[in-house]
Amino acid sequence: MDVLASNRRQFLKFLGTAAVVGSVTPDVLAAVQQGPKTTSVTILHTNDVHSRLDPFPMDGSRNAGKGGVARRATLIQTIRQEQANVLLFDAGDIFQGTPYFNLYKGEPEILAMNRLGYDAGTLGNHDFDGGIDNMVTQFGKASFPILIANYDFKNTVMDGRTIPFKLFEKGGVRIGVFGLGIQPEGLIPRAAYKETKYLDPIEIGNDIAAKLRIDKKCDYVICLSHLGFKYTEPIVSDNVLAAKTRNIDLIIGGHTHTFLDAPVAVNNLDGQPVWINQVGFAGINLGRIDLAFDKGKAVSSTGKSVEVK
Amino acid sequence: MKKYLLLLALATLSACNPGYHLTNRTSNRIGVDSLTATTDSSMANFLKPYRQGLDKSMNEVLARSTGRIEKGKPDAPLNDLLTDALLKQGSEKYGKPIDCSHLNYGGIRSNLPEGTITTGSIFEVMPFDNQLIVLTVTGAMLQELMNHFAQKNELVMGGLRAKIHNGAVQDVTFTNGRTLKPNETYTVLLSDYVANGGDDAGFLKNPVRNENINYLMRDALIDYFRQVGKTGQPINPVSDGRISIE
Repeated sequence: MDVLASNRRQFLKFLGTAAVVGSVTPDVLAAVQQGPKTTSVTILHTNDVHSRLDPFPMDGSRNAGKGGVARRATLIQTIRQEQANVLLFDAGDIFQGTPYFNLYKGEPEILAMNRLGYDAGTLGNHDFDGGIDNMVTQFGKASFPILIANYDFKNTVMDGRTIPFKLFEKGGVRIGVFGLGIQPEGLIPRAAYKETKYLDPIEIGNDIAAKLRIDKKCDYVICLSHLGFKYTEPIVSDNVLAAKTRNIDLIIGGHTHTFLDAPVAVNNLDGQPVWINQVGFAGINLGRIDLAFDKGKAVSSTGKSVEVK
Repeated sequence: MKKYLLLLALATLSACNPGYHLTNRTSNRIGVDSLTATTDSSMANFLKPYRQGLDKSMNEVLARSTGRIEKGKPDAPLNDLLTDALLKQGSEKYGKPIDCSHLNYGGIRSNLPEGTITTGSIFEVMPFDNQLIVLTVTGAMLQELMNHFAQKNELVMGGLRAKIHNGAVQDVTFTNGRTLKPNETYTVLLSDYVANGGDDAGFLKNPVRNENINYLMRDALIDYFRQVGKTGQPINPVSDGRISIE
């Protein structure tokens, strides 16, 4: 037999084994390495669902048969049965896109999210589409908080209807979550957002993340963002936010309907890799991020030691 | 000695409430379809009355199409069909001819299916409650409007043909025979969203005239498709290549 051919076969055999090992062992290895003190937290997320309560119709189009809130319900229930610590978030644009919204103004979307057990959401530009009075009515039906730190609603009917951040404790791990919205001017009709004031998301994001990390002693900080993933123009996006801030660990994004196969890591001002994720639109995908935490001395996810304060 | 140091370290850590630190992170994008999940019956039951109400108001068959009608850049069958439909309906409502119509590409929210086109299909294409506006503008402002959208390769127009060269619009010829001159005035039919500066069109702030014709864009489209359906002729999705890139 040809030596080269033999080597090649051996190599392919090795590759095949490696692929199998790689796909099944990380959890086992992780459990051994991490020991009993490890706490797992599963983050589930959607963005830009756009009133897509039913799956896309079976009309031969690209997304035919995908999505649907009743299937999402099954997926989420299954994951909740398997995992003790689950958090479910939405990154905005819950409303607009199917006749459900035109007819019912957002009620079934919000009530379905209550049933799915969403822990928090933020506001997208299209959530203003029914007008700001309709936001009060519909978000008033939500059993989850709307987190938005950079909209000042003081002179509007939405005043006091949102909160900037919320703390969650899961298996002892403290997780701080806050929301950031996009610039309404030039995007949302003025008649819809009225006197809502837009505040700089970088400045606010940095302040809130520091507050969550230091004052509120959060082990993990998540930003629900409707800024958009990335732009060629020099305007703020999740990529810019990640690079120009500190203390944010994960950005769950929306607005640009970006289908990321996996989260993108962007180094922040401290050189720490911030994860940015976004899962398309219309509830075609459910994003899942599994986090493992150990008690005690902090080591960053890249293995670099970090000072414990 | 070593043991003592370790104890001291542990004591310090617990005193400071060291919390938790991340040791691993993994991700998974879960497709939501019939392969990954069955339908949850409780959620389906919750939705049922809403869907029944929806079906009642959305299932009127307006027209038929021989194929899917899709939007696209720089030009596509849906772009042409919608801007032509709006120009026809808008001119009738306005009571006199309008030179051209404009749609913002991002405002076309879906494609139209092959076969039956229902009220619901039009709601998916145009879910926004946008009103039609007739703007009277100078040729210079119309040029600015077209350049603004052409820069993003999102120029969607009815009533004219044009070429995009390096993001600028050239060789504009109107269906009614007019040509584009900076100092002449033209009527443009467009959404109140864009007329009020949406899609970063703030430069439209001071037109010669701004007239709201009190006609929802969606209603105009529903009226148009219903009329087409009444002729018994199916829609044949084609683009006439009115917008091209050089």
